[in-house]
Amino acid sequence: MDAIQISGTPHMRKKRTTRGIMIDVLIALVPATAAGLVFFGLRALVTIAISVAASVATEWVWLLCKRKSFKEIWAQFDFSSCVTGLLLALTLPAFEYKYFYIPLLSAVFAVGVAKMLFGGTGKNIVNPAIAGRVFAFISFQSNMVSGWMTPRFAALGNTVQTSATPLTSMLGEGLGKIGIGNLDLFLGTGVTGCIGETCKVALLVGFAYLLVRRVVKWQWPVIYVAVTGLVSCAMGKSMGYFLPSILSGGLLLGAIFMATDYVTSPNNKWACYLYYLVLGVITALLRFGTKIEVVSFAILLMNLVVPLFNMYVRPRPFGAKPVVQVCKDKLDSIKQKARQKKAAKEGEAQ
Amino acid sequence: MMKPADIKKIGMDGLLRNNPTFRLVLGTCPTLALTTAAMNGIGMGLAVTFVLIFSNVIISALRKVIPNEVRIPAFVLIIATFVTLLRMLLDKFIPSLYESMGVYLPLIVVNCIILGRAESFASKNPVLNSAFDGLFTGLGFTWALTFMGVIREVLGAGQIFGYTLWDFRIEFFSSSAGAFFVYGLCVALFNLIYTKVESHFHRVGFAKKYMTAPEAAQEEAK
Repeated sequence: MDAIQISGTPHMRKKRTTRGIMIDVLIALVPATAAGLVFFGLRALVTIAISVAASVATEWVWLLCKRKSFKEIWAQFDFSSCVTGLLLALTLPAFEYKYFYIPLLSAVFAVGVAKMLFGGTGKNIVNPAIAGRVFAFISFQSNMVSGWMTPRFAALGNTVQTSATPLTSMLGEGLGKIGIGNLDLFLGTGVTGCIGETCKVALLVGFAYLLVRRVVKWQWPVIYVAVTGLVSCAMGKSMGYFLPSILSGGLLLGAIFMATDYVTSPNNKWACYLYYLVLGVITALLRFGTKIEVVSFAILLMNLVVPLFNMYVRPRPFGAKPVVQVCKDKLDSIKQKARQKKAAKEGEAQ
Repeated sequence: MMKPADIKKIGMDGLLRNNPTFRLVLGTCPTLALTTAAMNGIGMGLAVTFVLIFSNVIISALRKVIPNEVRIPAFVLIIATFVTLLRMLLDKFIPSLYESMGVYLPLIVVNCIILGRAESFASKNPVLNSAFDGLFTGLGFTWALTFMGVIREVLGAGQIFGYTLWDFRIEFFSSSAGAFFVYGLCVALFNLIYTKVESHFHRVGFAKKYMTAPEAAQEEAK
């Protein structure tokens, strides 16, 4: 057992490992985490710490139950459960201390059910952090929808202090009732919301880091966000919806860090284009349909149909004719047949 | 005549070996919909048991009269008669249960457990055996539903049989997603325990039959 070490796919000999990529993602999440800590203080720290600790503990306990030694567990430990725990905490509100069980149970559900039950890293069907957030949302709805903590720094412009997030007031009561400017939404000042999603600058810094390290491609989050913004404009019948719908809620966090998860997104280029397009449309439609933040539900829904995208949108094998060429050939053959028929008919007539 | 061994075999089949919910995965619709509370599970289970006993008895008694070609319509007709009777009885005597079961009560007509037992057991076996088969299969269904109902009620509503335990509730377990989740886990757990126990008994039985005493003791110790 010592001679052979089993690692996750793909089995390429490169310096790039799952562990390395996960550490890159963790580094990219540092700005957003820091912004969350600045805005929400100690409560955010406690939520994040509980979530990360519970995620790692769940994975280790699971592996211990499968009779693995500590040495093996450490050799296979790739920090993906750390990423799951951190991402999960960033999508949760900064809870009061008495609600410590919400991040705890969500993290146990995320890692235990969404990941380990399906076979561990790389075998999960849905993104574990998304599953954890949806579990928290369904289970503790009263704590997840209302009772937002007001962030520490006041807004630059005039704000209306409400218990709802800017997104829910925008969806529920229209563009005029959002109560906060686009710059505030961008910087996260005075915005109520989940720990990691308020400060868009920090998320974009993390995105830039991921791009530099080539962990994600820039096209995918951009397509997702742009399509969501455009469909929101169409739904709201006003171009004014574009920026607020992009900058409020968890759209950027979900687009950059969750929808681009390698395991739960399609495995070829054209499938990915289609996937993020549909994801954007579904997010915008569901947002206007339900009047709540649904990025996590949209990603969960689309994660489930990723195998379909992989099955029906296939990359062109090397040496095969391009699709356009195939269509042209087909058309030509049909035309030729028609010509032959015509000629035959004319021959008969003569 | 029935022997006690027959009753034991039928009982073990209905309660454990061929448990309709956990081993055969039949009748999943009421299982998923009605296990939000333990009381609902018991009510549904007993209702099915009632229908199952009487339909098994009648079908078994008529098994030589019913032509093979039209047996399914005949079975459904008999089952529907007893479901209608049950609905009238419940509506008169236990209206609260009647209300809480709602549409799932008339749907017992198309419950696969009842049709399955009629097809695979009652139409081939004598009346008394069929009656016991109905009773034990129904009880197997009842305990499975109650078990799931207790889990979902305690976790999802913080109650057990309607008594409030604590104020802590994980609403996921009351939702339909939680129903599928709990069902899957219960099936996995039941089959895990069942196969472990069965292989143990198989080994012990094998040892008693074919091995000398010390060897058997050694095998049993394993």
